[in-house]
Amino acid sequence: MKALERILADFGSPADAGPARLAAAEALSTHALPTRRDENWRYANLRALEAVRTFLPGPAPSISPALPPALPGYSRLVFIDGRLQPQHSLPDTALLGSLRRSAAGSADAGPVPFAFSGDGRFGLIARMFAPEPIALRVAGSLALELISITTAQACGSYLELDLELAAHAQLELVERHLGGAGPTGLSCVQVDLQLAEQAQSTHTRLLQGAPDALHYDTVAVTVGAGAQYLLRQVSAGAQTARSTIQVRLSGREARTQIRALATAHEAQVCDALFTVLHEAPGTRSDQLFRGIASDRAHVACSADVQVSAGAPGARVVQSLRGLIDGAGAEVDLRPRLTINTDEVQAAHGATTGRLDEDLLFYLLARGLSPVEARSLLKWAFLAEALNAIDAPALRRAAGQGAAARLADTPATELLQ
Amino acid sequence: MNAPLLKIDQLSASAGGAPVLHGVSLEVNAGEVHAIMGPNGSGKSTLAHVLAGRPGYVITGGTVRFDGADLLALPAEERARAGLFLGFQYPVEIPGVSNAYLLKAALNACRRQRGEQDIDAFDFLNLVRDKMRTMHIDEALLTRGVNEGFSGGEKKRNEILQMLVMEPRLALLDETDSGLDIDALKIVGRGINSLRAAERAVVVITHYQRLLDYVVPDQVHVLARGRIVRSGDRALALELERRGYDWLLEAAPAMA
Repeated sequence: MKALERILADFGSPADAGPARLAAAEALSTHALPTRRDENWRYANLRALEAVRTFLPGPAPSISPALPPALPGYSRLVFIDGRLQPQHSLPDTALLGSLRRSAAGSADAGPVPFAFSGDGRFGLIARMFAPEPIALRVAGSLALELISITTAQACGSYLELDLELAAHAQLELVERHLGGAGPTGLSCVQVDLQLAEQAQSTHTRLLQGAPDALHYDTVAVTVGAGAQYLLRQVSAGAQTARSTIQVRLSGREARTQIRALATAHEAQVCDALFTVLHEAPGTRSDQLFRGIASDRAHVACSADVQVSAGAPGARVVQSLRGLIDGAGAEVDLRPRLTINTDEVQAAHGATTGRLDEDLLFYLLARGLSPVEARSLLKWAFLAEALNAIDAPALRRAAGQGAAARLADTPATELLQ
Repeated sequence: MNAPLLKIDQLSASAGGAPVLHGVSLEVNAGEVHAIMGPNGSGKSTLAHVLAGRPGYVITGGTVRFDGADLLALPAEERARAGLFLGFQYPVEIPGVSNAYLLKAALNACRRQRGEQDIDAFDFLNLVRDKMRTMHIDEALLTRGVNEGFSGGEKKRNEILQMLVMEPRLALLDETDSGLDIDALKIVGRGINSLRAAERAVVVITHYQRLLDYVVPDQVHVLARGRIVRSGDRALALELERRGYDWLLEAAPAMA
């Protein structure tokens, strides 16, 4: 049986499935899974899905995970295999009170419009199976760290997160996806984030799944008038990792800045699709991606910016760079810019290559060893994306994760 | 008499299959400053890069001894650690690597080679600040990426700053004076002179003699068509300034 048939069979017809879950299953059945013939999925490793034995969520875990140190000033929610672990979480009273669990797909769960558009189909799978989806409305200001640990072996770990920011609200959101100690299976994450006017959010995502994990995540963001969404994403884990991210700038003068990096080694496949839709006048987007593929790894990034006819005065900046650092390594970058209006300022560029020999020689001529010089240059290559993470502890954790996937580990000083 | 610090004997090299150096011979003693002048394309920068160990050149003949050791047998980083410094004509920009990091890494590489411990962070800052004052470099540049967004003059002064921090036995300065205004030229000249010592030597590669007003050489050599065609004292540089290089080219045999 193909993966789609098994997903639908595993889902079955549960008596307690709410309308949202049933709608997700129906949509997935209609649209089917993407294939490599789909332009936005040609570099994703979809064959790995065929090896998943069961898509059912794993049983309730009974482990006591090793958690990273708490981030100062942040509330923390810990999920293991998609299930909230209150005993490991650090939620304040207000946060606990506002967690609106959508109770396995109740009618109040949003429609996930992005998922239905095609590229968010893995978001549908997360919705179908997530054992404890959560929804949260932020009215004031919140710093929230969400740790998701996948331990489920040979079955699924699903997480669905629905966040809504009221006008002028502020959210510092950190997502950390980690692997357990043993072998893991499939991890599917769906995040839906809506920013009302003048709201602001910095969303930091560290994807550091176990070396054998399959991780597919879907993030759909809607940015209202005058609101600002900053995304920092560091992808440095899992055997197969695919991020599908869509940011809709739906309100006048809505802004987004994306700083993303990916490092992959051995035979990892790390693929990302960033779509930014300019739908209102005066909107701005600024995307930067840096990827390094070592050994036989494959790093891919598609960055698609679409400026609609209703978005005059839009400003678009896009910079994609890839570094090939292995005989069998591959980097594919695809910048795409579609403009359907006048009065647009747009600058974009994409380059892929190997380490610059001139830079390398300069460092050797200063006495640095070839290993140190290469490591330093790779670190410098990632710096612009990495340094966009403001919190030092988080930046250090992100750096260490990225460094673990480089052929040459940078000096400790650089990881501070 | 002591052996020369640098002894180049009949050095020949090619780049991209084309011969560039045709039997260059040169001796530089500790404590001396030499200037190598010559027209465009004469092989000056090639000589500097071959000595510093840049990949891409093929040594087709000759030997080079540096402080008694076979220089050509060493990879580039070991040449640097042994005390050979190349000041680049076109210093590269390395965003993401701070000046401070590179200076410290370079200094510690040299210290380890000498059997010394890595420098303490406090001592390093004191040392660098002192050298930065000599080179009139704003301390704020320490935290900036290497040469990132620097003006041409700042890049060249930064090269000399690196040299002062590393304290090499032999400095090869490849057209360090190019693109400098008169004030920057004086600062660079002052920086080079501050390194002059009985145990060190400096080789200045330049098109013009104006740097030599500030860094007075003991010997001047003219490199033309891949070989040294004339050597003399500072008066030779002044003569080149008056007469140009044509009269020497006419006297130099064309190489096959």
